[in-house]
This record gives sequence, C-alpha cells and structure tokens, in this order.
Amino acid sequence: MKLVGIAGTVEDKSYNKILLQFIANNFSNLADIEILSIDDIPMFDQDNDQTESGAIQYLNRKISGADGVIIATPEHNHTITAALKSVIEWLSFKVHPFSNKPVMIVGASYYEQGSSRAQLNLRQILEAPGVNAIVFPGNEFLLANVKEAFDDNGRLKDEKTTAFLQTTLQKFLRFVKVINTMNQATGGHDDAAGSEDLNSKGKISTTIEGVDMAADDWVEKAAEKVNAVEGNTYVKLDRGILTVDQLNYFLNSMPIELTYADSNNQFIYYNKMTSTKKMLAPRRPGQVGDPLSLVHPKRAIQGVKSVIHALRTGKTDMVKMPVPGNGPDKYIMHFYKAMHDEKGEYVGINEFVLDIMPIIKWYLNKTGQKLAADPNAKVDANTGASSKDDEAADNSATDADTSASTHDEPEASTGDTDATTGASES
Amino acid sequence: MRKFIGLVGTNTTQSTNRQLLQFMKRHFEKQAELELIEVSGLPMFNKPQDMKVPERATEIAKKIDASDGVIISTPEYDHAVPAVLMNALEWLSYGIHPLLDKPVMIIGASFGSLGTSRAQAHLRQMLDSPEISARVMPSSEYLVGHVLEAFDDKGDLTDKDKVEQLDALFADFQQFVEISKELWHTVKVDKKEVQKLGKEDFN
Repeated sequence: MKLVGIAGTVEDKSYNKILLQFIANNFSNLADIEILSIDDIPMFDQDNDQTESGAIQYLNRKISGADGVIIATPEHNHTITAALKSVIEWLSFKVHPFSNKPVMIVGASYYEQGSSRAQLNLRQILEAPGVNAIVFPGNEFLLANVKEAFDDNGRLKDEKTTAFLQTTLQKFLRFVKVINTMNQATGGHDDAAGSEDLNSKGKISTTIEGVDMAADDWVEKAAEKVNAVEGNTYVKLDRGILTVDQLNYFLNSMPIELTYADSNNQFIYYNKMTSTKKMLAPRRPGQVGDPLSLVHPKRAIQGVKSVIHALRTGKTDMVKMPVPGNGPDKYIMHFYKAMHDEKGEYVGINEFVLDIMPIIKWYLNKTGQKLAADPNAKVDANTGASSKDDEAADNSATDADTSASTHDEPEASTGDTDATTGASES
Repeated sequence: MRKFIGLVGTNTTQSTNRQLLQFMKRHFEKQAELELIEVSGLPMFNKPQDMKVPERATEIAKKIDASDGVIISTPEYDHAVPAVLMNALEWLSYGIHPLLDKPVMIIGASFGSLGTSRAQAHLRQMLDSPEISARVMPSSEYLVGHVLEAFDDKGDLTDKDKVEQLDALFADFQQFVEISKELWHTVKVDKKEVQKLGKEDFN
C-alpha cells in the first residue's frame, strides 16, 4: 500500500510535520508513506497558471500515483492555513489528482481541542466538486498539547495514543482498499496498464525518426541521422564535463548493468560492460533501438506493461524484482527506477541489474555475522512472488525465473519482498 | 462621512467581487467613503519565529485601523474562502490585530446560483476566531449569483431588487457601526487577551 502524506504548513518547525513523520516511521510495516513538501507551491492565481511548474506537477504526480493521502493540518484563525488551501486550489484547477482519492485527516495542536474546526473545514473543502476527494469518515484524530506529546526522537510518548493512531490507520487502509475497489469497478480510476504501447509507435521529442528500430545497426544509423557526437568531444553534464569516451569508460566500469528505456518504451541504451554471455541480464548489441515488445517474450508483456504504467503514473518510483534460481551464491536483483525531467515529467526507466550476494557476504564477513532464517517471515524470500498489494504485482504472479531464461527481463512484481525488513520501496 | 475599507478577496484581474465593491463605492459615494484594498502580493504566511509582518500587511492594517468598518467581498473556491484572502487574514492577525472589534460586512459574488454562501460562512467563522475577533454584522448575507448577467456595461447592478437589498444592508451596516461603539465593555478585555496571543496560538 502506497500512501503520501502532506503537512498543511510551510513553517520550518511544525508539530504537524513531526506527527506525520512519526506516522510514516512508526507504521512503515503497515504502509509505505512518502511525505510530500508543499514549501515551494506559490499562491494560487488563476491569471498566472502555474499548473505545469515542477513543484505542482510533483504533487500532482505523487498524489495521482498514491493509493491514498494523509493530511496533517494545523489550525489558524479557526481554519486551515492559506498555504494548504492554495495547494488544494491548484490541484482542483486544471488537474484533479484528489478526484476519487481516499484521504485521511489528522491534526496536532497546542491546546485541548485545536484543529477540530480546521479538520471539519478541510473535510468540506476536500469534498467540494472540483476537488472531489473521498474523505475517511469519523475516526477523527486530534493530537492535543503537542509540546508534551513527543519525545526527543519525535516519537509519541503515550502508548495509548500510538495504539489509537494505529487502529485509525488500519481502518483507513481498509477504507482505501474499499474505495479503490469501487473506483476500479466504476472505471473512475486511472487508465489500465493496457494502454502502454510496447511497440513504441508513438513519438517523443527525442525519438529518432526514419530509422528502423528493429535493425541491428540502429545505433549507427540513428547516430548518423542526428550527427551524434563521439570520441573526444566534450559533453556538459549535471554536474561535470566529460568526453564521450570518458563517459563510456565511466558507465562501462559500473558494477551494475544499466539499461535505458525511454518514455516511448524504446530500448535505447545499455552499458556494454562485458560480453552478452557474461551479463546477468544478457543484452545483445543489435537489440539497442528495439521497441520493448521485441525484447520480451509474449507472456511477459502484461507484466512489463504493468511495471511501466506504475512508474509512468507515479504509482511507485521503483519496482524491485529478484530473479531466483541461481543457487545460494547469487541473488540477482532487477530494479526499475522511474526517471523524470526537471519539470517532473516521466521520461523513461533506468533499469539496473546486479547480484547483491557479494555485498551481503562482504558485510557478513566484515561484521562477523551470518544469515539466519526469520521464523516470523511473512514472505517467501525465495520466490519473491507473494504478498502483493497492487495491480502491477497481480498481473505478474508468474515465475520470474523462467522468463529470465527466455529473455532479458523477468516479469514484473512490485518489490514487496522486502516486507520482512520493513524497508520501503523507494 | 464615515470611511470604510473594501477588501477585495481575490487576486483575479477580472473579478466580479472587485466589480461589486467598485459599484458600491460609486453607488454610496454620498453616504460614505469606500477605499478598495487588494489582498494579493503578500508572501505565503509561514508563521515567522521573529513575528515580523511584511510591510504591505502593516500598511493594510494601518488603513483598517483608521477606518470605521470593513466590507469584505469574497469569491468561493472549493466551497471556501480563496487562499489569497485567507493568507491576508493570517498576516492581519499575527502580532497585529487591526480587525479586533472592527465592524465587518461580508458580501460575495459568484457565477452560479448559490453565490458564495459557503465561502461567506467560512469567512464569518474565521473572523470570529480569537486571533481576529472582528464584529461581523449578523443576519446579513449578501449574495450575488449569476454575475455574468448581474452587471451592465457601466458596471452597475441591473437587478433592482438586488440594489434595493444592498441599499438596505448598507444602511443597516452604518447603523451597526454606530451600535458597535456601544459595545465597548469587552473592547479593553479583548485588547488584553489578543496581546497575550503569540506564535503558539497558531498550531
């Protein structure tokens, strides 16, 4: 379950920020909660539409991609802050990420009952037609006397309060499931992953046209077409300057296999660090340029689409997938990380593959420890195919090892296999 | 002649709420002076620890202080007061309290038929908070709906009933300002209470 949390304030020091951080940290075993900042959002002004700005698109993408939202609100003048109201106004103007989104409201205050009016008010605002959020009813969580409520580590002192908060959060998580099931049934949610075009028939600003994508010499042909620089020509990077040669030395000596698939689902680069045979996820030089449909077996397509869609829509930032079947000395991981431009627009996938076993062994050796099975583990770590929450995972419950043997990329599964350690996805 | 401040509760250039206040300024020029003040251009309220208020907010506060009353015109965004007006009210109640015990009348114009009823209720609630403690004229909702047809080319309200209603309300407001002066018993206490409010009173 992926949630985002927003503290409705732009102050540096805020108890509502602390409360939200506590919820995210303390209940990481229940949900993955990413905290979003609203500090850079300007005052809403319909004459100066800034919907396309990075700061607003960031919120739009994160909220759209989340299963639900938690808002922690202070109370100023018997209502919410102008800063939070401005955010909601932007997000109900040209874009509507809150639409049909389950939202839970919490609030912290200095006195006995503060934030009760702000919470009521926020509820009314979120339910206005332009916002159209689905606010979790009842279960009001007001944290009073906040100055005494937290210890030095930002943890709630009172166990009863923590227990109540946990119950409330668990109820909200069930509410999120119900609402999102309802949204799917009525088609009110985002497009299905089926809309992903793995044949790369579309065109993005960087697509090199007029060259056969499937050709083995696509790189050479395409390079000629755009006069691509090479050799000792300098390119300016963020942050540094390298020649193309240096860039190659650098990327090809990475201890991980890197693959670039652009937002048109075209495979346009891998770091040719070694021969195809020696690669953990073998790529052939002639495959570069191929649409993703050509580099996956047919039965993997659905899973691939789900992963790409989850990354494109911001449902998750990273998908992790272990490839089992390589014996006890290897634990090969595929990571699919969404890439974004300066404006926060999705620009493609950075796939990186590595064997993490040498790292684990090195660590154990250096710290004098050994691996032991966790008797309480909920997840079967060997298959990495259980305990899945979301769509991307559901579509991919097939065996990852067989697909890996057929071709490059094993099928999808969002990386919930780390549930036992409590680590988050991104 | 009394002097009133008209707060334009929006940052939109083409606003019927500004138009409504401009109409009132002309329409009532023989009865009172009405100075329009824009609430945009203030930085986002961030509860600064040093309690330093922007100069623009201090200027607005001075004008409100010197006036006999304030008329606030609010549009409605997402069933509530626009952020830009909320922001101004936050600055105008942080260490400075120009609206304390100040007579206020609320009006609002909207495209739809409901005419900002929810925003006006929201504004009333804000003005009633201890940090602001304005004296909002009771039972005085003035809503102009369907504003696209409400004004003629000269910017005058076309509906005679609406004008009549506004005349009556304005007359009442003048009276309300007078009556408010009689409510002096709490003024001293209010002033004392509001001085006690510090940054901690914003959560």
